[in-house]
Amino acid sequence: MVNTAGLRLDQAPPIHLPLRLLLTAPWFAVAAAVLLMVSGDQILVSRWTPAALAVTHLITVGFLGQAICGALLQMLPVIAGAPVPGVHWVGAVVHVALTAGAPLLAAGFLGGGPWLLGLGAGCATLGFAVFLAAAATALTRAQGAPATVGALRMAAFSLAPTVLIGAGLASVLVGWTALPGFPAWVDLHLAWGLFGWVGLLILGVAYQVVPMFHVTPGYPAALTRWLAPALLVALVIASLGTLSGLEPVVWLAEGAIALGFGAFALVTLDLHRRRSRARRDANLLHWWSALGAAIAAACAWGVGAPDALIGVLLLVGVGIGLPSGMLFKIVPFLCWFHLQQRQVSAGRFEVRVPHMHGFLPERPSRWQWGLQLAALTTLSGACFDPRLATAGGALLALATLLLAGLLLTAAWRYRQTSRALERSSPLDSHLGSQPGST
Amino acid sequence: MDHVLDARGLPPPEPMERTLDALAALPPDDRLVLRLPRQPFPLFDLLRRMGYLWEVSGTEGDYRILIRLADTPPAGA
Repeated sequence: MVNTAGLRLDQAPPIHLPLRLLLTAPWFAVAAAVLLMVSGDQILVSRWTPAALAVTHLITVGFLGQAICGALLQMLPVIAGAPVPGVHWVGAVVHVALTAGAPLLAAGFLGGGPWLLGLGAGCATLGFAVFLAAAATALTRAQGAPATVGALRMAAFSLAPTVLIGAGLASVLVGWTALPGFPAWVDLHLAWGLFGWVGLLILGVAYQVVPMFHVTPGYPAALTRWLAPALLVALVIASLGTLSGLEPVVWLAEGAIALGFGAFALVTLDLHRRRSRARRDANLLHWWSALGAAIAAACAWGVGAPDALIGVLLLVGVGIGLPSGMLFKIVPFLCWFHLQQRQVSAGRFEVRVPHMHGFLPERPSRWQWGLQLAALTTLSGACFDPRLATAGGALLALATLLLAGLLLTAAWRYRQTSRALERSSPLDSHLGSQPGST
Repeated sequence: MDHVLDARGLPPPEPMERTLDALAALPPDDRLVLRLPRQPFPLFDLLRRMGYLWEVSGTEGDYRILIRLADTPPAGA
């Protein structure tokens, strides 16, 4: 998201807007992990148990929602060249609404009663609706790389049915209305959220960041042009088939979705194999394990594996793993970029701004990836042997706690340098000592 | 004297980090030749604000950006 013609860094919002969402997100993954640790044996039995629904929404609304919205508030102006309208209050509302919505939803599912569930659903709906309205406005004006902008538009489009159906399902659960074919609507909510909103977003972001950050060749033009639209069409067909009860149609469309995301993961791994830089940092390792989890989930669907296993692979493997890796890039980059800009604006070159990799220690970041992978493996095993659930949840709790701690470390280093920039001597006393001050 | 910094094949923001480090160590009358696969538009904004001038030559895949302080004489002067 830097250093390329067409990227507009000058349009990026102030650092506190994305950072407050990005630093809050990991704590919801910690909460989900603790719940898995405490009652994982029930959660991994069926996706319909209250605890499973609570964990799912802590991950999707609390962790993924905050991480994605925070990252997009920063990336949309940069990648798409279109500022998010009202970014200050949009960021504030989304942060408060999702921070309140995720735990209220979880508490509602865990027996807190219809009011908590309704309130949580209302907050989550408000947060996502405000974000969607702002992001959609930015995306209609977007002028960035067509493949990325196209996939981001389709992802944003997919968020609308996810939120609408979710709000409808919540209103049924709190007893405000009735909805025939309730389980089918749950399937649609899940499919549009995971494969539309999150899946298409991953595609659009990967088209830009994989070649740039991992120094690989570009994605094949045919893939960037056709894959996202084909997946969206498959999603529409699967939805119509689900509502009509046409099982063969649903099976074929789901197969196309599994094949499409599996192919994307394989192509990305092949691009990584051909990367020109051998370095394997925590970001790249997270990409590999998340892509592996996506391929495993596609295979698991193909062989009719339990829903719980597919859920673990998608939610923990991809849904927590990939954003964790991305946060290891995004947060240090934001810290470095904003300090660099402030330093040049103030002309205070006597203060050393750390390089981007200086904001996060590399070795603990790799440990974090190792813990995340161990948690994914153990929780996958727990789908077959529930005795592993507690250990898997504990490993995930450690991984996500370390993630939260590492991101706070980066923010602390940002604050240290920021204070040093504020404290340092006025520009005039250093004239002639640095090139930029002449 | 010209100092060459080949930043091709580096992921962002390393080219910008290394360029800023190189400029901080650059003697006032010397120039930096930066080699990059793309034009570094974000860097140009920083250079302008830091009081540097730059000239771009080359094509996509191998750009050369000659950077000097605003009061350093151009090549051949």
